[in-house]
Amino acid sequence: MTFFKFKARLYPLVAVAASLFVIVFGLVAAREANMSYYLLGVLAWVSLFGCVKSCLKLLPAFVVFGGAFAGIAYASAGGDVEAAISMLNRFGALFLGVALSMSVEAVRMTRALSQVRTPRALTLGMLIAMSFVPMLKGEIGRVREAMKTRGAGSVLDPKIFYRAFLVPFVMRLVNISDTLALSVETRGFTLGGGLYSIYKKEYPALSDVLFVIGLAVGAALTVVL
Amino acid sequence: MTVDTEVKTAAADIAALIENTRELQQAVASEQAAYEEKLKRREARDADESKMFRRFKIKDIVFLAVITACMLVTSAIMPLLIHVPVFGIIQLGLGLQFSVFPVIGLMKVRKAGSMTIMGIFTAFFLVMMFPPMALIAVCAVVVELVVFAIFRSYKSDWACVLAGTLYMPLTVPLLYLYYNVNYTVTGSENEAVSMFLGATEPWVIALMTLAVVALCFAGSVIGMVVSRELKKAGVLKK
Repeated sequence: MTFFKFKARLYPLVAVAASLFVIVFGLVAAREANMSYYLLGVLAWVSLFGCVKSCLKLLPAFVVFGGAFAGIAYASAGGDVEAAISMLNRFGALFLGVALSMSVEAVRMTRALSQVRTPRALTLGMLIAMSFVPMLKGEIGRVREAMKTRGAGSVLDPKIFYRAFLVPFVMRLVNISDTLALSVETRGFTLGGGLYSIYKKEYPALSDVLFVIGLAVGAALTVVL
Repeated sequence: MTVDTEVKTAAADIAALIENTRELQQAVASEQAAYEEKLKRREARDADESKMFRRFKIKDIVFLAVITACMLVTSAIMPLLIHVPVFGIIQLGLGLQFSVFPVIGLMKVRKAGSMTIMGIFTAFFLVMMFPPMALIAVCAVVVELVVFAIFRSYKSDWACVLAGTLYMPLTVPLLYLYYNVNYTVTGSENEAVSMFLGATEPWVIALMTLAVVALCFAGSVIGMVVSRELKKAGVLKK
């Protein structure tokens, strides 16, 4: 049975819910003495469940920004180490939560949302918004490249920014979205309440239950101990 | 059985099938006509630009999603801003992009619910960065109600500007929740941080709120100017 399989990847909705839990719990209980241990445990736990890559991606940002803000908290609290640790905990919880949600692929999230009968307009929008981000970075690069070719000058100049960057960029966005809409319609996507098939369904597995239990037990121990 | 008989039987079967189909067609003819009439009415309504409540097309949803993606890319600084205990710093950091892009979105998709759809898409992602900001979807609904109360529709460009100006500042009250729960109540060390940065001073709150509104208004006007320019160039087709 599918449920009793151990899956390395989390069920998308469980991952999102767990991400929220880690962020909220981390922000609220940042001052708990055992919070740092809990977050280290969560790091190990999420790594076991297929989030290693996203954790590694976010680690440098956590070290830089977490360190900087912990330093500010330390200085502003008059050399209080606990203040610095609390700030570090908040950043840790935030980055772990983001890593968890980042580990969910846009397509899997869309499938899971479709299975729970989320309106098509929303699932389509989510899918596009999630998968459009890398494309957007490429477009920004292309517009800037065009600026360099034309010798438009610095993007920091408001006039140049508006004329040579913002207007062409929005123009590209409109063209891309028109093409994308046409492509979606050609593939038979409709917004009506018509029936549709999901060929590869997403189901929660025993590993998801285990993951949630692990997080909850860890949180309870952090508060109780 | 001869070939002749077989052909006759097949012909009779086909005739019966055709007759059966005709009967079925006649039975549902009135319902079919009513459905087609309904579709025609719906299409006519969707084509009427003056109507506020029109159905969304796929290209509308796609454009709003693309615009949301732009807002999200530029709001990546939010996880850092939430840890700076200065009142309104999140809104100040995000104000420009959260007013320029929604106005462009609204000026292309001038339909009731456009702002709410952008709000829902945005909330889905912001909740991962800072859960209270997920209430931005509620702010989008409030903005639409205000705009409809004043302008009745997004037909006027200034209705779009008003929506863009109010969108982000309406999230300012959410900060009350954050600063109280996370910084003031939870510990003495954070009170020190708040005092250091002056988060609790009333004049800071007033000035920051004004600054956020001014920034969002400027952003909305920029969005309107960009959209008008694209419209003139024939890029912003409906």
